[in-house]
Amino acid sequence: MRFILLDKVTELLPGRKISAIKNLSLAEEYLADHFPGFPVMPGVLMIEALVQTAAMLVRVTNNFSHSMVILAQADNVKYKSFVKPGNALKISLEAKNITSMDSSFTGTACVDGQQVVSARLKLRHFNLADDDQSLAATDRKIIEEMKHRAQLLGAC
Amino acid sequence: MRWIWIDKFVEFEPGRRAVAIKNVTMAEEHLHDHFPGFPTMPASLMIEAMAQTSGILVGHARDFKEKVILAKVVKAVFSRIVRPGDQLRIEAVIDNIADEAANITGTIHCEDQLVAEIALIFSHIDQNLAGMEFPEENFVFNAQFMELLSCYIPSKTVQS
Amino acid sequence: MTISRDEIFAKVRENLVNALGVDSDEVTGQSTLMGDLDAESIDFLDIVFRLEKEFDIKIPREELFPAEDMLNNSKYVENGKLTPTGLEQCKSSMPHIDFSEFEKDPDVNKMGDLFTVDVIVKYVEGKINA
Repeated sequence: MRFILLDKVTELLPGRKISAIKNLSLAEEYLADHFPGFPVMPGVLMIEALVQTAAMLVRVTNNFSHSMVILAQADNVKYKSFVKPGNALKISLEAKNITSMDSSFTGTACVDGQQVVSARLKLRHFNLADDDQSLAATDRKIIEEMKHRAQLLGAC
Repeated sequence: MRWIWIDKFVEFEPGRRAVAIKNVTMAEEHLHDHFPGFPTMPASLMIEAMAQTSGILVGHARDFKEKVILAKVVKAVFSRIVRPGDQLRIEAVIDNIADEAANITGTIHCEDQLVAEIALIFSHIDQNLAGMEFPEENFVFNAQFMELLSCYIPSKTVQS
Repeated sequence: MTISRDEIFAKVRENLVNALGVDSDEVTGQSTLMGDLDAESIDFLDIVFRLEKEFDIKIPREELFPAEDMLNNSKYVENGKLTPTGLEQCKSSMPHIDFSEFEKDPDVNKMGDLFTVDVIVKYVEGKINA
């Protein structure tokens, strides 16, 4: 299974907001365990979908300046309903603030117009070379991969 | 990708507290996308490790009669990156447990260094979510989870 | 233990900030929990846990917030309005709330406006001084 939790970016305003879609399919193996006989998207993968979408906005806004864009803090993540195979999760995030080193967002995701999750997220951004110069090539490799992914997903 | 994010219980105080460990290994496929050339355990999956450790603790406290699911991540703060070869120690404490829900706080450490602090609320969905349809049987506490728990308790008896 | 209403308000506010992820200045006495502060069913449980711990009191959930099954029950709610039975039920389980204005048009969608931060402060004060 590939750990990419968004399928298509539908709207992107640099520095401001991003919308994306994540389709849920029975083809995703972990659903067999979550849960047997009642496959539903794990709540933490909804968080991951929000994080990866927010990270995409950060990367495009900051012109892919950093390789590592990761979750620093999640607050008040509330789950209201289930996401089932065949559902399309519509993700929407608004940036409260994006600097070169960190960012904060409020985000929601809906299925058929009904909200299934809401969250406040803080991300932090850095390059591996900041602490270890020998990893500069790794930074470049990750950045290249993320640029390619952004194009694939329609983010830029 | 199997949906099991803890490997073993090392401490289990029924109704109170549990400690589990999670080994992080290159054999886990998702690490190769997160990120290519620099694998690191996603923060969201650390939340799941805490949710599974504490979910089993809460379920056990209620005799696994109810379906216990994650309803809210109150707060999760991450302070260190986790790499393949690391072993995480996940400690969960029940702050409060009632008919409809349970409150958990916990920490994750790697070699005594703090990796994360996480507070969660579980909902007992048989008591809540009126009008939603889900199966009768307790699909949450499946064979895999029960196996983890049964592997722990006999060894605790041996040690004490 | 004597504790002033202002002190109670400060502690209630801190706990609401932590439970709901809102900023401190968003929480005033008149803020409605469900409207202004976006609190939902799962938050009510979180808030009850925190207040019990903060003030060392026991709070039966239905004394502070309307019970889910009450709102879905046709005995208590009909055509989007509380029935006389529903109103009686509310008044008896939540005596610290003034339903007199609400009674004139007991629209269930407007019920949220009754649950303000001041109402919680008043409830806690009553429990501590009991």
